[in-house]
Amino acid sequence: MALLSVEDLVVRFRTHEGTIHAVNGVSFELEEGERLGLVGESGCGKSVTNLAIIRLLPKPAGRIEGGRVRFDGQDLMALDEADIRDLRGREIAMIFQDPMTSLNPVLTIEEQMVETIQAHRKVGRDEARARAIELLETVGIAQAAERLRNFPHQFSGGMRQRVMIAMALALHPKLLIADEPTTALDVTIQAQVLELLRELTESSGTALILITHDLGVVAGMTQRINVMYAGYVVEMAPTGELFAHPSHPYTVGLLHSVPRVDEREGEELIPIEGRPPDMRQLPAGCAFAPRCAWRLERCWVENPPLRPLVEGTPIVTTGPQASHLIACHNPPTPDEAASGRPTRPGFSPAPAPPGLIDELSPRSNGVPGGLADLVEAIEAIEGPLSAFPSAAGLPLPPAEEGPDGER
Amino acid sequence: MASAEQRAAGGASATGPAAGATGPAAGATGPGAGPLLQVEGLTVHFPIRQGIIIERRIGDVRAVDGISFSLARGETLGLVGESGCGKSTTGRAIVRLYEPTAGRVLFDGVDITTLDATGLRRMRRRMQMIFQDPYASLNPRMTAGGIIAEPLEIHRVGTPGERRERVRELLATVGLSPDYASRYPHEFSGGQRQRIGVARALALEPDLVVADEPISALDVSIQAQIINLLERLQGRLGLTYLFIAHDLSVVRHISDRIAVMYLGRIVELASSRDLNRTPLHPYSVALLSAVPIPDPAVEARRRRIILKGDVPSPAAPPPGCRFHTRCWLRERLGNPVECETIDPEFRSLATDHQVACHFAEKVDGSAEQLQAAGRGTGGGAPVVPGGGAPVVPGGSAAAAGGAPPGARAVPPPGASRPGE
Repeated sequence: MALLSVEDLVVRFRTHEGTIHAVNGVSFELEEGERLGLVGESGCGKSVTNLAIIRLLPKPAGRIEGGRVRFDGQDLMALDEADIRDLRGREIAMIFQDPMTSLNPVLTIEEQMVETIQAHRKVGRDEARARAIELLETVGIAQAAERLRNFPHQFSGGMRQRVMIAMALALHPKLLIADEPTTALDVTIQAQVLELLRELTESSGTALILITHDLGVVAGMTQRINVMYAGYVVEMAPTGELFAHPSHPYTVGLLHSVPRVDEREGEELIPIEGRPPDMRQLPAGCAFAPRCAWRLERCWVENPPLRPLVEGTPIVTTGPQASHLIACHNPPTPDEAASGRPTRPGFSPAPAPPGLIDELSPRSNGVPGGLADLVEAIEAIEGPLSAFPSAAGLPLPPAEEGPDGER
Repeated sequence: MASAEQRAAGGASATGPAAGATGPAAGATGPGAGPLLQVEGLTVHFPIRQGIIIERRIGDVRAVDGISFSLARGETLGLVGESGCGKSTTGRAIVRLYEPTAGRVLFDGVDITTLDATGLRRMRRRMQMIFQDPYASLNPRMTAGGIIAEPLEIHRVGTPGERRERVRELLATVGLSPDYASRYPHEFSGGQRQRIGVARALALEPDLVVADEPISALDVSIQAQIINLLERLQGRLGLTYLFIAHDLSVVRHISDRIAVMYLGRIVELASSRDLNRTPLHPYSVALLSAVPIPDPAVEARRRRIILKGDVPSPAAPPPGCRFHTRCWLRERLGNPVECETIDPEFRSLATDHQVACHFAEKVDGSAEQLQAAGRGTGGGAPVVPGGGAPVVPGGSAAAAGGAPPGARAVPPPGASRPGE
């Protein structure tokens, strides 16, 4: 049985501006010692999924409205508050993006580490302190005994994140959830922290859920990846398989919209048009359809389920042989995935049926984003740009950049 | 990137920059010739003060400490480095948002560090900035149209009617509907706001645009939209960019040349291609090797150089080479004493490839250098292990392309740092 199993998780936030559909039926499993990446942009539900798992959703706005979470044989949704608090830290640990906000600024590192250790283990103060020193040494902090007496602000960002990792792993948890652990750090410090995270989880057999927007980070760190968009998992595969055969238009889009440091010269970026949907009013069909270059008419009205890429194969949920699943009516072919665009002759993305939410207008806070706006906006972006004089008063050259991503 | 014709035509437009109006350029090369921007020994120190009533200056944060580079017309120079390296300060000092402590900034032959307020304002028309945070850099009480028109009003360009028309043009140029002029920043998404920031920067038809981390506050899927927009505008309007960012992959994508900064100094300056193929400063190599590549096959093969510790404080930079406290190469060479005592000269090691390291020759052709860009074979190199995973020879296309490693001719040192 899997260490963690999330089944059809639904999370909503009730706010004054409407209900936010943060997580819309997410299912996945994780084995002991497995490292899973959760990839997506801000607002895609990757952090909320994990907050829901450890029941740390902000109250009262955030509510789990459906689904089950089982961890190590226990139903986490059914645990009472005291039990879940005991479980957090001891069995499931978390580290967050900004280590400054996760550490208490008015307590020394020693007070915080000793408190954490004593909260879960029946040990004396001296023993807890010895353990704290040992942990700081494990994460490569020199002069650990002296550093214990420091306050968090006396540590640099990278060192604070090391302290967080030390505290998270203090109690040998079975699962570590790292939410954008290196996003606030410089790239050389990121390399240090990721290295440490991998070493420690590998040596202790701790399972890892790594949440990030950076495909490069998960490529080197994880064994499997879930790609999330608008509260849905849209693609799920072992890491090697995902990068070798990206099959959801969103994954393909992400891979083509970030420059690679090892890219060939003159490689162009293909942006994903538009922007993520308003989570208060998700489209009726596929949430990605308004931005998708491969969309069919049915994509506007029918939300595709997550199913095996190779139809009819049995679904394996964990391990290196895990199935490659996608939620898409019209997946890109391997050639199309490599070029980043639909290449089949005569294909063009299906236009929106009348009356759908206008994706290109500004946020609709009291501003009716009508169809006229949409037409204008499309004209402004795609239309005969040469009609507009350029900023320098020159007529713009005719849109000779036909294949240009911005169109 | 931009053709000279386009630029010339742009300059000839009705409201084009009045090239003759830049005051007496005493003895300097006249406008129109030579590089657009020449920075010589630029230094920006911020005083550290102590005391409440009697303030004493107890030291300096040496944010930028004597850097020199030039920028040709229509070129993009990337300025890359980690937080606190002085890259943003450099960008701001160039448009004189910060007063340089020392050094010269020649814009089109005129030293802007000595200009009076009137002269500076006239110059600023030709140099504009795009800022990192599109949420903080737009006034929430002004409409998009007002924001874009503001530079025109400050410089008294055109009539109100003409300005309105111009705002519509500019919105269209950056891919927004002209009708959005009447809307407020909160009605736009992050990517759309950054487009407004770009439109504002273009309003006065600048020659130079200093873009300070223009995409790092944006979502991944939006970043490419802005990068492509900047690239297209450069081609169309003949813009010259100073592109400041911490992300080497983005800088590499957009820049013709790249300057790597560390603790207030430029440690390496080279073409984008050379910097990525054959980085010569140990810091550049480490920086490159730390950038994750979204390809597990490449990642498994790569060995990262894990730098020890943190960047030292710019208030007390280490003596000698500023990087020596974290340098992997120094350790390898048995900690030679000159690294700690002698500030390395910024010297030319190859055509248009300058580096400030006593031992840059040892970097060239090293396993670390090959590994950094993901094109090494991964075998046997005594690099701090970063892979963990088994070494997969061959693998992805990333290994393809490029001259055989180590086949570089190193010309005799001679060309030294300009203007010092």
